[in-house]
Amino acid sequence: MSDIPIPSALDPVILPGSNNQDLTDHVCGIPLRHQAFFWWWIAITPFALLTAVLVGSILYLFYAGVGIWGIGWPVVWGFAIINYVWWIAIASGGTFISALFYLTRSDWRSSINRIAESMTLFGAACAGIYPILHLGRPWFFYWLFPYPGTMHTWPQFRSPLLWDFFAILTYVTASALFWYLGLLPDLATMRDHARTRAKRVFYGALAMGFRGSSSQWRHFQATYAVLAAIMAPLVCSVHSIVGLDFAGAATVGWNSTQFPPFFIFGAFLSGFAAVLILVIPLRRLLRLERYITGRHIDVLCRLMLTSSLFVGYAYIMDAFQAFYGDDHAERVEFIEKVSGYYAGLYWATIIFNVSLPQLLWFCAVRMRQIAVLLISFGIIIGMWCERFTIVVVSLHRSQLPSSWGVFHATIWDWLTMAGTVGLFFTGILIVVRLIPIISMFEMRELVAPRRIFKAGSP
Amino acid sequence: MPSVTRQWRSLAELARDPAFVARAAREFPTLAGSLNVPHDRRRVLKLMAAGLALAGLGGCDDGAPSGVLIPPVRSSRESVTRGSNLYATASVLCGYAAGVLVRHDAGRPIKVAGNPDHPASLGATDAIAQAEILGFYDPDRAAGLMRDGEPQDWQSLLTALAAQRASWTKTGGAGLRVLTGSVTSPTMARQFVALQQLYPEMRWHQWEPVSRDAVRAGAQLAFGRSLEIVPKLDVADVILALDSDLLDAAPGHVRLAHDFATRRNPTRGPMSRVYAVEPTPTLIGLAADHRFVAGPGDMHRTVVALRDALLHGAAPADGPPWVGEVVADLRAHRGRAFVHAGPQLPAETHALVHALNDVLGGRGTTYSLIDAVEVAPTNQAQSLHDLVADMQAGRVQSLVIIDSNPAFTAPGSLGFADALRRVPFSLALTVESNETSQRTRWSLPQAHPYEAWSDARAFDGTATILQPQAQPLYDGVAPHHLLALLAAPQAAAALDLVRQTWQPTFTGNADRQWHDALAGGIVPNTAAPPTDAKLLPAAGQATPPPPADNPVTLLFRPDPHLWDGRFANNAWLQELPRPLTKLTWDNPLLISPQQAHAMDVRNGDRVELRVGDTTLTVPAWIMPGQASDCAVVSFGFGRTVVGTVGQHTGWNVYPLTGRSEPPALRKGQGREELACAEHHNPIFSHDEDFARHGTLAAFTADPHFLADHKPTPALYRTKPPGPAEWGMSIDQNACIGCNACVVACMSENNIPVVGKQAVIREREMHWLRIDRYYEGDIADPTTLFQPVLCMHCEQAPCEIVCPVGATVHDSEGLNVMVYNRCVGTRFCSNNCPYKVRRFNYYEFAAQEHRPAAARNPDVTVRARGVMEKCTFCLQRIAAARIAADMENRPIGGNEVRTACQNACPTQAFTFGNMAQPDAEVLNRKRSPLTYALLSDQNTQPRVTYEAKITNPNKAIGREGA
Repeated sequence: MSDIPIPSALDPVILPGSNNQDLTDHVCGIPLRHQAFFWWWIAITPFALLTAVLVGSILYLFYAGVGIWGIGWPVVWGFAIINYVWWIAIASGGTFISALFYLTRSDWRSSINRIAESMTLFGAACAGIYPILHLGRPWFFYWLFPYPGTMHTWPQFRSPLLWDFFAILTYVTASALFWYLGLLPDLATMRDHARTRAKRVFYGALAMGFRGSSSQWRHFQATYAVLAAIMAPLVCSVHSIVGLDFAGAATVGWNSTQFPPFFIFGAFLSGFAAVLILVIPLRRLLRLERYITGRHIDVLCRLMLTSSLFVGYAYIMDAFQAFYGDDHAERVEFIEKVSGYYAGLYWATIIFNVSLPQLLWFCAVRMRQIAVLLISFGIIIGMWCERFTIVVVSLHRSQLPSSWGVFHATIWDWLTMAGTVGLFFTGILIVVRLIPIISMFEMRELVAPRRIFKAGSP
Repeated sequence: MPSVTRQWRSLAELARDPAFVARAAREFPTLAGSLNVPHDRRRVLKLMAAGLALAGLGGCDDGAPSGVLIPPVRSSRESVTRGSNLYATASVLCGYAAGVLVRHDAGRPIKVAGNPDHPASLGATDAIAQAEILGFYDPDRAAGLMRDGEPQDWQSLLTALAAQRASWTKTGGAGLRVLTGSVTSPTMARQFVALQQLYPEMRWHQWEPVSRDAVRAGAQLAFGRSLEIVPKLDVADVILALDSDLLDAAPGHVRLAHDFATRRNPTRGPMSRVYAVEPTPTLIGLAADHRFVAGPGDMHRTVVALRDALLHGAAPADGPPWVGEVVADLRAHRGRAFVHAGPQLPAETHALVHALNDVLGGRGTTYSLIDAVEVAPTNQAQSLHDLVADMQAGRVQSLVIIDSNPAFTAPGSLGFADALRRVPFSLALTVESNETSQRTRWSLPQAHPYEAWSDARAFDGTATILQPQAQPLYDGVAPHHLLALLAAPQAAAALDLVRQTWQPTFTGNADRQWHDALAGGIVPNTAAPPTDAKLLPAAGQATPPPPADNPVTLLFRPDPHLWDGRFANNAWLQELPRPLTKLTWDNPLLISPQQAHAMDVRNGDRVELRVGDTTLTVPAWIMPGQASDCAVVSFGFGRTVVGTVGQHTGWNVYPLTGRSEPPALRKGQGREELACAEHHNPIFSHDEDFARHGTLAAFTADPHFLADHKPTPALYRTKPPGPAEWGMSIDQNACIGCNACVVACMSENNIPVVGKQAVIREREMHWLRIDRYYEGDIADPTTLFQPVLCMHCEQAPCEIVCPVGATVHDSEGLNVMVYNRCVGTRFCSNNCPYKVRRFNYYEFAAQEHRPAAARNPDVTVRARGVMEKCTFCLQRIAAARIAADMENRPIGGNEVRTACQNACPTQAFTFGNMAQPDAEVLNRKRSPLTYALLSDQNTQPRVTYEAKITNPNKAIGREGA
């Protein structure tokens, strides 16, 4: 295990010479270590602090009100919605890998699906708090829920925000279930490998009695496949509905039929980028090069490039529609977007999301991990800029020029946003410390396949 | 409410009175013990209700020690809320009265409306009169009698005045001076006559910083006596306005705006044609068919050319090219033409304008002349100058200042504040403590006009008796009472003084007539008859002095809302966007676009303004349509001794006044952040038709040329199923941008003020805004006003996006906002194409600087995190519905009037129940000019607009049209 191979696009999904015993020992060894890695403490400290900042800024927000943010009139939506869409898109990419590529039986998915799913979980958590923080009266958020009340008041089912509420609720619940269910066999393995009684009880309780009997496996496989079959369309529906939050409005810049697929493209792009951002350092830090190989990086980069082309297409259509449609306000908004006060953000979006990823056409770039990391970070930033452009630029040029205005973020906008970044990475790091970061039971099938398996085949 | 607590507190003091406690102790030993322990409200309530009732005082309680009264949760069965009462009084500015009706709810004055019977109001008000109610409740008002900054009791002032009276009697009042503003009050006139008889050497000075000296002097030059002009704009076919304040601030401007607007909509009668010549936009200039930008030089040439052409029949030699056509138009409408000059123009110009009007033959039709309404009209600049000179020379022993703030408003060159130190006995009677009352030896809280008896005349002489609307909130003294105290120790109360004034007028059943005069808000038959004064021949020969040849002329204008600064502590007026600049809370230097270009100055950049040895660093603001060689500053800001609201707002420009040196402008360092309610650069709409407009010629060719042609497709029902159907029509021809409606809306609907920083952060809460569009050349643009409020769309985009159904459609076509249900997603605002929704980002209502008692009890006060918007004054609709239900009839077509509609001087708003065929709004909506704002959105708004039509003179062409 000491030799660190240089990743190659021609790598198999598991380097030759692996065996199940090594795999189990290595993966179980990470959470079962008595002492956390030194780097782990260094990594979690700033993120835990940022999480504390998040808690502090949320408390102040509840005390003072959404007035602490930069939103005003006409830009009444700001960072809360931008970050919500941004995070939910990052989350969606994980589900895409873990569920869709499960259904297609893509062998490369097994090594990274746990990382992707954990990313989904915490991405969705970061996203999920924003809609509530966004409310003027967050303590009444449950009014969006159709519960039987004495006043006989129901939510308003025509509102895209209500669809969004349901979509998010479903998505977060399903993601958590899917993540947890997929963990069960590995938790059982952990239970069996744990050396102290406390850990055995901890993992044993989490494993919920999974012992690996063939009937349990049969039920497990069936349930997992069904959940995967639910999750794959769900990730598309949740993001379509996030798109409908905008497209369902008559607002300038939002009222566009391409938004639902456009938002899905964006979700894939940012999801793949975020997975790469997690996979590349974790692979190195946790010595997982044997199981996460050049092939994984290669296939993720190819997917990222493909999504980037899709997103690029959506940008072109956005521009086309602005001029093809006979709507003066849309044209004004588009011209403002590309040349106005916030034009820098638009062009950052184009550069980060479309131009730079084109480098991934080159195999040499795909195999250079630092370049891939930079491009992935670029995409994450680019996607944030895109969300900013959609939310703020559209709102700041409404129909009537008398109600035009600008938006400037306040320190509280930035602190809350940084806080969710902290929450996300804190969560990932805790996951690394607590559960196997590679799906062992799925990997075992690859290491010792029960069916014909040809290494290197796509 | 302090007045109430004061009354109750006196009972409490009675309860703490040792004699009373001793007596109670004899009768009720336990009660006395309880009275001695610190006030536990519940116990005292119980014990005193029992004990004091027995003692013959009724079940009265002062509430908690803090003086808070808690209203009953369940009212007793006997108590009946009878709705609102209206009491007539008047709003007086610079002496001139405009009648108002003050609405009282549960005994509290709540809302100001115009008095329909009053000639200066006709039911409307201006913005200032609307906001006066906030001034009445201002917690920063002067609360007590002070001497040298120390609180004093009333007796000490009486003692001091007794000593003064003794010395005045000895000297004949030689050292006694009284300073007031302009006065039309017959009672005050009578008092001054009496004082003058008592103290022959006394002198009465008058001073208004917004000077009308030139107007007075002009009449004097033209007629040899003090006259005032009463324009009749509804009969004038052609109006020439020379830097005119006819619609802004002239006496009776509310009425004048009304008359003006009656001739501006071609669907309702023949249109007038209006020419305006002015250095900086005025309201009549913006409404004019031709607006000619003229700096002082151009104005001089114009006036001379008009004189030569109209009076002497000569061809205008040196005048601007359009003068000939204007003269021809005026001549063609002899007898139906009217020329008006603003108070900023020199007296000679006013004399000439009198002569021009005489030649044009409009006297008796387009205007009439009456004897001066003002009492003792005088040259006020001279009057103040004399006073200060005498003060400096030590000839003033006693100075009594009544409702004037000369320490702030006197020209900077005069040095009033320094001279005041030389006056041994100085006394200021002011509603709020101000720069003057802080410097005088004695400062005396003046009763607010809503707290005192008085009287005043309107621009046409009609008298109104001002009746108090409430007990004084603070221990205010009525000006009449103070004047009476100057004469005798046993001074009559203001009520008696006013009654005495009107005693001779009311013959027969005097009580009945007095009552009717109070109830009606006017004293019948007091309008001044036209005079037969003859124009002096010299008037036509007058030549205005040629203006100094300065590169920049500095013009001083009153702030349209704060006036001379007396309303600086009124938050509604501070935050009211100025008609053109849309600025709030500040008064930058207004410079022309050309000047800005030459100086490389953008909006907000600091400039140094130097006049003589006085330099003021102010931010600049570019005013499209201002003469290139003019810079304009407005009075009213930069108060130093003022309540919490007015502090640190704007810059005091009075130090620059009264100087003859040429002003100099220089770009300064840095920028100033200004709170503009228009959060981007001025709108120049070239290719869009938000505010539609066209010419009379095009209208005549095809009256429907601006209307919506496409019938809008609808999937759902568009007729509300309910018994009423509300709708509004807004006439852009009538809107002059005066902002009265905006304040009326704030007052009626408890709309909070948010402050300068929040306006900068785009969080102003006005439900009704007046959009201003410019079109054309920035040096001389066409300006369009468009009031925008919730359109109450039949297909409302806001309704379908609210996830909790907090904004819904009602059965009468209203888009209603359920505050209690709102969770604050703000999606409705995003989806509103008109952006009329406002969000409570903070607890704005709780942060407001006014007592809760000042709020309209019929309107919910909105909490933090809740969206709000125009409701079409739902509370008024509800009141009408209740009244109609009780009489078992449908609500009448014109029964409900919204607050904006009620306040509008020009009747730009028409609102009503469209389900009733008699509704005026139906008529208006049938106008060929009707269109819906953003009709392509197919929202089917219940508010429609009538497009603006101008009546340009073809011979003049595009220029200035």
